[in-house]
Amino acid sequence: MATNSRPPEGAGDELLVVDDVKKHFPITRGIIFQKEIASVKAVDGVSFSIKAGETLGIVGESGCGKSTLARCITRLLDPTAGRIFFEGREITKLSRPHMRPIRRDMTMIFQDPYASLNPRKRVGFIIAEPLEIHGLGTAAEIKLRVQELLEVVGLNPEHYNRFPHEFSGGQRQRIGVARALAVNPKLIVCDEPVSALDVSVQAQILNLLKDLQEDFGLTYVFIAHDLNVVRHISDRVMVMYLGKVAEIATREVLYREPKHPYTGALLSAVPIANPELGRARRPIVLEGDVPSPVNPPSACRFHPRCPRFQEGHCDVEEPPLYPFGDGQVASCHYPLERWPMDADEMRRPSQQARELAHSS
Amino acid sequence: MALLEVKDLRTSFRTDDGIVKAVDGVNFTVEKGQTLGIVGESGCGKSVTNLTIMGLNPRQNTVSSGQALWKGDDLLRMKPRELRDIRGNDISMIFQDPMTSLNPVHSIGKQLVEAIQLHRDVTKRVARARALELLKAVGIPRAEARIDDYPHQFSGGMRQRVMIAMALINDPDLLIADEPTTALDVTTQAQILSLMKRLQEDFGSAIILVTHDLGVIAEIADDVLVMYAAQVVEQAEVHDLFNRPQHPYTWGLMGSLPRLDADVERLTQIPGQPPSLLRPPSGCRFHPRCPYVMEVCKTKVPALVPTQKDPDHLQACHLDEDTKDREAAKLIAETMAGAT
Repeated sequence: MATNSRPPEGAGDELLVVDDVKKHFPITRGIIFQKEIASVKAVDGVSFSIKAGETLGIVGESGCGKSTLARCITRLLDPTAGRIFFEGREITKLSRPHMRPIRRDMTMIFQDPYASLNPRKRVGFIIAEPLEIHGLGTAAEIKLRVQELLEVVGLNPEHYNRFPHEFSGGQRQRIGVARALAVNPKLIVCDEPVSALDVSVQAQILNLLKDLQEDFGLTYVFIAHDLNVVRHISDRVMVMYLGKVAEIATREVLYREPKHPYTGALLSAVPIANPELGRARRPIVLEGDVPSPVNPPSACRFHPRCPRFQEGHCDVEEPPLYPFGDGQVASCHYPLERWPMDADEMRRPSQQARELAHSS
Repeated sequence: MALLEVKDLRTSFRTDDGIVKAVDGVNFTVEKGQTLGIVGESGCGKSVTNLTIMGLNPRQNTVSSGQALWKGDDLLRMKPRELRDIRGNDISMIFQDPMTSLNPVHSIGKQLVEAIQLHRDVTKRVARARALELLKAVGIPRAEARIDDYPHQFSGGMRQRVMIAMALINDPDLLIADEPTTALDVTTQAQILSLMKRLQEDFGSAIILVTHDLGVIAEIADDVLVMYAAQVVEQAEVHDLFNRPQHPYTWGLMGSLPRLDADVERLTQIPGQPPSLLRPPSGCRFHPRCPYVMEVCKTKVPALVPTQKDPDHLQACHLDEDTKDREAAKLIAETMAGAT
């Protein structure tokens, strides 16, 4: 249907629009007659959009589906349901040959700089490969371009003929950045690009990514579990929990006035590198672990661990993404009234919030 | 007498490429009930220091010297038998990776009972009761039912709790925790850190906490060692370290940290890479990456000496103290700008 392939309303200057994307991995039993007995709902209905030149940070604990989402966006995995629009064009169902030109505009940087570079290939080849695949220039032009890229990411252009093992972790991640940058993409999806690096090297890569964004007008989807890193680099932040969006807001708003209790708990759990501040506050310690995405809790998925849980509501009715102004949305029936809050205050949603919740 | 006194500890490994001095003259003491944090980047020798104290380095191709006096007796000179009596009993250790440090083919109950029976002459029943008590203390829900489960049936955070239970089971005087929360999510990390704090209050053990995360150090350490390239470059009480850091490397670590409590447009990065320990730089080992480098730094090794203002604050840098105080104040003002 022609009408169906148009992005949802409000689209215009958005570079990427993700609309209700789901990715379920089937769990099967049987050898010849495979029967699906359950599915891992890794991503379960996620919608968001990114404007050109913006950085969207995605945070969440391990297993919340953030990496699966990244792979769906870049079509390394095919979403089970939902639609993805890139520059206003639906790419969800594009075939491989049709997808190929779009891959020039959309590249990825991976977490592990040791595993994501082919150890048998020279650095020059690794960075040149995307250029060759897309047929961008003659051999001599490509070599020049690769040397230019090495310089852009802060490596010595003479290292063209070296192998990945001759570089340290931080330098390898620079090679990963150079490769992602080679085809002049519009969007780079960074999946935990700095979590395997030491802090001093992490700072180098974060600064590099920021500089490149300014120089080349890049748009980033930046996935990380470290809230400090996400705060540093993002314009807007999306918090995920068990395959769903818990909250989306601009960076300032999210860190100043989180609305979702899960965001609050995450923020309060981050150790502060300041003994006075860190020891004065009382973190909201969540009980238990993230539940299994095979059999997620009913309604609000956070309810078994939520300090504000209201029986008969949170476990029955799934909260939609309520808007709070300034583009902030949070999927909670009893959003936080203010911040910071300690665990005891958090347990008592205000009367106003309750009335509001019941009237809706 | 200090619980543990480490004097001029040196460990080197023989490799195909030459001798790697992984720990090069480290001194510190740990008192009863104290939490000592050791912070540094990968390869700075923080883990090897502890492995040497515990006698856990591979015997081949390893040379250690110096002293590690445990209540006056040198751990480095003990026979393997004597050391076994101390390990897991007086001193126990928690490792970074809870996935690989439990035996996958035995139930956790069996592993806990084994840890007790190695050191105590008690019946299985008594040992099992103790194991259950510890599992409850570290907050494993339905401990009675889960004691017979296997490691793979636990999540990462729960496995780390089992490791902590095992480490505490014989009431150790000293607990060495090597990156205990690095593999965990923030919310789980918060649970484990508050658990360690609580258990320390209840059991009164001393803790050596090894981490690369200054945030974790700020949360629970009493005293801190900052290590760089196999040596200690700064040592101070935790508040002093964060309020008046005295070494350019410590400044670099603090400046390169993106943080929740401050807005910084650009992180201060430490240029370059940590050096190879095969051929460490001459003079001060930090000099090739140091923005304050002087001629003297390239040739003369700075000693770890007390600062003039505070005899308990040790640092190894040639810069004069006034300059350092000025730079430290500037750094703190910068990172605290816009603090919420």
